[in-house]
Amino acid sequence: MTWKDLKNRLTGEAFVEDRKAKMWDFSKTTALFLGMCVVAVVLMFPYIFMVFKSLMSESEILDPNPHFFPDWGNLQWSNFVTLFTDASSGYNYAQALLHTMIIIVFNVIAIPLSATFIAYGFAKLKWKGKNIVFAAMMLTVTLPGVVTQIPLYVIYSKIGWLNTLLPFTIPNLFGGGAMYIFLIRQYMFGIPNEICDAAKIDGCGPFRIYWSIILPNCKSIIIYIVISVFNSYWGDYYGPLLYMPSSDAPITFAYAIFKSTVEGLASTRWAAVRMAGGVFMTFFPALLFLIFQEQLTDGALTSGIKG
Amino acid sequence: MPTVEARKERAPFWSSLKDRVKGFLPAKKDGDAPKFKRPKMSRMQRKEAVAGWVFASPLIIGLALFTAVPMFCSLYWSFFHYDGFNISPAGLWNYVQAFQDDEVGISALNTLIYAIVNVPLNLVLSYFLALLVNNAHKFTRVFRVLFYLPVVIPAVVSGLLWKDLFDNTYGIFNKILESIGLPKATFFMDPRTAMPSLIFMGLWGVGGGMILWLSAFKNIPKDLYESAKVDGANAFQRFAHITIPMSTPIIFFNLVTSIIGSLQYNGTLIFAPREGRGIDDSLFLFGVKIYWEAMRIGDIGYASALSWMLCIVISLLTLLLFSTSKWVFYGGD
Repeated sequence: MTWKDLKNRLTGEAFVEDRKAKMWDFSKTTALFLGMCVVAVVLMFPYIFMVFKSLMSESEILDPNPHFFPDWGNLQWSNFVTLFTDASSGYNYAQALLHTMIIIVFNVIAIPLSATFIAYGFAKLKWKGKNIVFAAMMLTVTLPGVVTQIPLYVIYSKIGWLNTLLPFTIPNLFGGGAMYIFLIRQYMFGIPNEICDAAKIDGCGPFRIYWSIILPNCKSIIIYIVISVFNSYWGDYYGPLLYMPSSDAPITFAYAIFKSTVEGLASTRWAAVRMAGGVFMTFFPALLFLIFQEQLTDGALTSGIKG
Repeated sequence: MPTVEARKERAPFWSSLKDRVKGFLPAKKDGDAPKFKRPKMSRMQRKEAVAGWVFASPLIIGLALFTAVPMFCSLYWSFFHYDGFNISPAGLWNYVQAFQDDEVGISALNTLIYAIVNVPLNLVLSYFLALLVNNAHKFTRVFRVLFYLPVVIPAVVSGLLWKDLFDNTYGIFNKILESIGLPKATFFMDPRTAMPSLIFMGLWGVGGGMILWLSAFKNIPKDLYESAKVDGANAFQRFAHITIPMSTPIIFFNLVTSIIGSLQYNGTLIFAPREGRGIDDSLFLFGVKIYWEAMRIGDIGYASALSWMLCIVISLLTLLLFSTSKWVFYGGD
């Protein structure tokens, strides 16, 4: 890598050079590759360690001289089995996973349906008051969560919703948040109005148009919404922390991990099982990200859901 | 053949008939000549207007029940002594108390330090990371995915993981430090090292900023650099006059979202000792303070007042950012 290359690289215009010089010279590639490898090792280190630790035995965990590598001849795959079968640690992870799945299945259906329904009114229909309702919705984006979370805790406790799954499902029948509705509306602007007009002339009402024309055309944005909804409820520990104060509440998987992390000591044998839970929790978001990389990174940009 | 637009314009039979009839009737009060006034709304438009409200109705119900009502409650309760059961008027006591409460001062200061260090540090480091992967080499895609992966990991898991890595006796970081001949570090267990450790931990998510920078680079027309070079601009000039100005929309977006995010951050609840407060309150952030007041102490009125103060600070800051955003260059001619 010459000094000139380095300078071009530092201004963010390296691609100009890349395109010009079609053949990569060897030293430049190696330097770049090494740089990327170093960063990758640094950034991947914690994650790899988590996987290794989830495969360690009790004695390895309890060793005051910590190991990085697990005992290769004696990998404790059973930690993943223990996670779901043995509830004697006080955290019933299997049951918690069931609760998480119930919440996710409900929301993955309810949020895309209700959000597209609402967004259609904003994107394709002309009605008085539309801009005011839309502005009111967008104002909620800037509202810090705590302003509504704490009063909702009191309200839920009065109507008996605490320690149930209701706070995590029922509010999502109403669109599931301004950001989703906003994104779908932007997407619907891209669907040509001519299709709707043609359907109108054929005698379709707005509901028919929404259901049979707009909804089937929203597939790719719905995929993005479904993944975001999955990720946000899969990793949600803060909602249950507020709304599930009782010890016999139907807690979610993420909250079980949270409780175990906060209450548990690093030295007990459950540390490895907890790590197995962490690895398990990372698996699905990482898999979804790998499959839908393009849509997700594009979506992250347009929506401002800065990961 | 009439176009779709023309068909839309044509009023339905009934309303146009009514108009025609109106035209033959004598003018009502003032002696104006009879006019053929277009109807305000055709039947179809009226139907559409009704449908619009029907489509918006779930949103309106949801906003009313789960945003407006709680907001109103929290504003109302912020003027009362309220623990969830007994309520008595407090006037401005909760707001005055906030300025006398040492914990508010400590947590506000901690939050400020966290935001002031964390946001620019992430912005700069993610810039260099984006430069590293800003090339068309076939392996680069794989590295981009690897760099972004920590961002995908749920917050609970990264909290669990870093708590373990930083553990003073069983943690692997101290083992590494020891093996290269450095003294052991205390991380979260000492008020002096707690905040730097938190910020260090935050750097794991540097891939999020990287993605934003990459998309900024992608949007810069390549010929700008070519013509600048022809005009004899050196590398630093090209950086200062092309790369940075052309990336300002993304920098601005990143700045606004990450400042707002940092001020509300309460993730220390997962991993910091003393249930999110840290040793000697060294990791006590404002978001955690609100959580403590509401859920642990049970002073809903005070917590509501604090959350409204946070809301005001965030709104003012957002307004300030937007009003001073003349440096953001949105392209165009």
